[in-house]
Amino acid sequence: MTEMWVNMGPQHPMTHGLWNLRVRIEGEIIKDVEPEMGYLHRGIEKISEDRHYNEIITLMDRTCYVAGLSWEHLFIVAAEQALHVTPPERAEYIRVMSAELQRIASHLMWYSAFVQDLGLMTPFLYGMRDRDLILDLFQSYTGGRLTYEYMRVGGVRSDLPLGFTQRCRQVVDWLMDRFVEYDQLCLSSTIFHERCDGLGVLLEPEAVAYGVTGPMLRSAGSRRDLRKDRPYSVYDQVQFDVATATTADVTGRYLVRMEEMRQSVRIVRQCLDWLDDHPGPVMADHLPRWLGAPYAPMGNESYLLKRNYPTGVGLSMIEEPHGEAGAYVVNDGGEHPYRVKFRSPVLINIWAAKRYLPGYRVADIPPIMGSVDVCVGECDR
Amino acid sequence: MDQEQLSAGLSARFPGKILGVDTFPGTNGRVRFDATVASDLFRSLRDDFHFTHLTMVGATDWIDHREVFYVLWSDADRRYLILSTDLPAESPVIASAVPIWPSANAHEREAWDLVGVKFEGHPDLRRIFMPEGYAYHPLLRSFKIHEPEDLEVKVRSD
Amino acid sequence: MSNVSLYSVAYTLSSVLLGALAHLFPAPIHGWLISGTVVTALAAVIFAAILLLASMLNTILLIWYERKLLGRFMDRRGAMHVGYAGLLQNFADGLKLFRKDTVRPGQADPLGFWLSPTAYMVTSLVIFGLLPISTGWNGGSLPLTLLLALVIFSFAPLFIFLGAWASNNKYSLIGGMRSAAQMIAYEVPILLAVVAVVVLAGTFDLNTIVLEQRNYWFWAPLFLALIVFLTGMLAEMERIPFDLPEAEAELVEGWNTEYGGMLFAFFMLADYLRALVGSILVVLLFLGGWTLPSYVPAALTSFPLAGIVWFMVKTYLVFGLFVWVRASLPRIRTDQLLRLGWMRMVPLALLSVLLAALVVLSHCLPLIGCVPSMGG
Repeated sequence: MTEMWVNMGPQHPMTHGLWNLRVRIEGEIIKDVEPEMGYLHRGIEKISEDRHYNEIITLMDRTCYVAGLSWEHLFIVAAEQALHVTPPERAEYIRVMSAELQRIASHLMWYSAFVQDLGLMTPFLYGMRDRDLILDLFQSYTGGRLTYEYMRVGGVRSDLPLGFTQRCRQVVDWLMDRFVEYDQLCLSSTIFHERCDGLGVLLEPEAVAYGVTGPMLRSAGSRRDLRKDRPYSVYDQVQFDVATATTADVTGRYLVRMEEMRQSVRIVRQCLDWLDDHPGPVMADHLPRWLGAPYAPMGNESYLLKRNYPTGVGLSMIEEPHGEAGAYVVNDGGEHPYRVKFRSPVLINIWAAKRYLPGYRVADIPPIMGSVDVCVGECDR
Repeated sequence: MDQEQLSAGLSARFPGKILGVDTFPGTNGRVRFDATVASDLFRSLRDDFHFTHLTMVGATDWIDHREVFYVLWSDADRRYLILSTDLPAESPVIASAVPIWPSANAHEREAWDLVGVKFEGHPDLRRIFMPEGYAYHPLLRSFKIHEPEDLEVKVRSD
Repeated sequence: MSNVSLYSVAYTLSSVLLGALAHLFPAPIHGWLISGTVVTALAAVIFAAILLLASMLNTILLIWYERKLLGRFMDRRGAMHVGYAGLLQNFADGLKLFRKDTVRPGQADPLGFWLSPTAYMVTSLVIFGLLPISTGWNGGSLPLTLLLALVIFSFAPLFIFLGAWASNNKYSLIGGMRSAAQMIAYEVPILLAVVAVVVLAGTFDLNTIVLEQRNYWFWAPLFLALIVFLTGMLAEMERIPFDLPEAEAELVEGWNTEYGGMLFAFFMLADYLRALVGSILVVLLFLGGWTLPSYVPAALTSFPLAGIVWFMVKTYLVFGLFVWVRASLPRIRTDQLLRLGWMRMVPLALLSVLLAALVVLSHCLPLIGCVPSMGG
């Protein structure tokens, strides 16, 4: 049979966003792939050069629209490093709790999309239903369900509302029960294993060489998790295990993400316990006025400082739900960053498709690419 | 391996080509190097210093010159390392890191697309976000987002 | 009421209509209008119209039933807003589709493109003329009804492939080829499972097959054949887990990617018509058709049209099983599907034929015991 190129995207049910996977197939066998990105490029790095630091947070929510708080966290860590600001500890705990709730929400979104690619419709709706509970929590303390604009350089915008910790505990308890149900729906099905076992194998040395990070790397047996290896915020204060698998295939990635959600619940519970016991400020003092500290005490003369902030470079790498995200912020002493560079884990994970897709069948593309957890917003920025 | 050991090791291997090692919080430092030894330095860092993972490649336009930075990760040290080098603004060319770290491929395409840094030896140096035939490198400081651009897009030939 | 048949209803309607009409005309035309030939001809037309209406209504009800059932499985309520509990939602959807512009891609072959949905729809409808749903309530009662129904049922891959090829679209072509391969592969186990039934019943006539089940329904001795038949029917209907010809994750919409509006509605309707046919065949061949076991109180079987009611209940329960499967299983891959078909289903079907032959020869039933009169 002759070979032909098939465009899977940019408008195709497999892609979950605007990108194009050009596939060269011979019969049903994939010979080569060529990912094409850029359909959703909004120039976030360029726009950031013209914005105040706190205005960039708005862009971060839009960078990855399923993990907005994680990306806010990423930028905030880099910006605080570049501007030499230290947030209060309570703000750090709220950030970690938000990031972990966001990780669960993002993984639930992945779960829904992934099982939908496999043709499973019921778990899709279960996943979306349970993700909504987390969005309700977000709404109660950030006001937003998708774009939160919650974190600030120097802290977070506002403290948690009354009774939040109780509600949050109820939600994570409910989720822990649902995770069992998810596993029953997928792992107990022979067809699920037939569709997922041994597909899209990317062993650890190759994964490292191709720059793949996150659950994809950990499914190959690597224990690399920046929350453990290079703790940022207060990740060194909480206990959790790194989820790994050894099969390096689609099932392995599924198992890693499911276990990560359970570990995230564990972290959230610890954060809630800490937050119950330690009331306090959520915004740093002594911030310059242009950093927009709404709760900075008046009469503090440092808010009069308009410029002459110390120059610096901030590098933050965090374990985002999709993998390792990075922000490199160059501050030349002005109100705007001079240069912002983001590392998108999804861009690299998609690009490595050249390595892990050929040899499988066309029908395997949805499960394999589904297991990558594609978010085109952060890929194209 | 801490910053001093790394600094000494690199200076011994590349005398005169390591322009300095700055302290950088949370990393093994920021190594400024001469772009002429890029390939050898990369290989040495991967093979001798175990920086197996290339995390990020980016470039900054400093108007009079362009800076290319690399962020590496060592599984042995659990630390990052930042590499930085300055290229002349009129001919920003540096050796590609793809032969050493395949993951550099997409990063370097992005740096070429957005900042206009050429990577010699890159197998497939095309634009990645902007359309082929786009006249600008948008992350250059000379590119103003508020000015109307004249967009010329060629149709893909294949 | 048991002597009322569909044809007698049509004949009565026809003669009443023609009798009324005849009064408007003078003698020669009057006489011709109430003559046996004309009344019979009109009766046939009415008969077909009733059949068409009933099958279409049932199909639309079936879609509603599937939507509601799927909704419940998925912790939601399904269609709610049009009509009571969304009963009219499918009519609204149908109207929307019929109002849409029908677009043919410029490079598509016109004949194949138009012919395919029409032929697919027509062949699916024709089968309803052959299926009995209660005593006397059937169209043709030929000696080989079952065989004819299955033959018409298996026309589908031809028309699907025709439409897929004519669309001139890569997704359609791949989907069409998958569809053809799948349907042809599952014809074999289905026919073998039917052979087991025929061996037991000793006839190809669906009416007689149902009557032969008066002592015991055939699913008991032919449980293997029932499983093979259900699986094969799932594949023939192209429903999850065997819906890969229209696997939307990789092939957009599979072989009907290029079809929109009315033509898509045709395909959609025909799919559900085939699903209805499949469920009806399961009921007829394995679940005793419109009969109920003898220990059921007579009050449940003696009310007017009891046969039709029980038949529909059984059909909808069988279709509910298909919906349940759809709600809980992922889609499998082409090669796995074909492997399952040829390497599992065909041997199982052959085994069930053997079992049927043993039952006939020994007059014995597993779990029930030996009865001298048993078997065809």
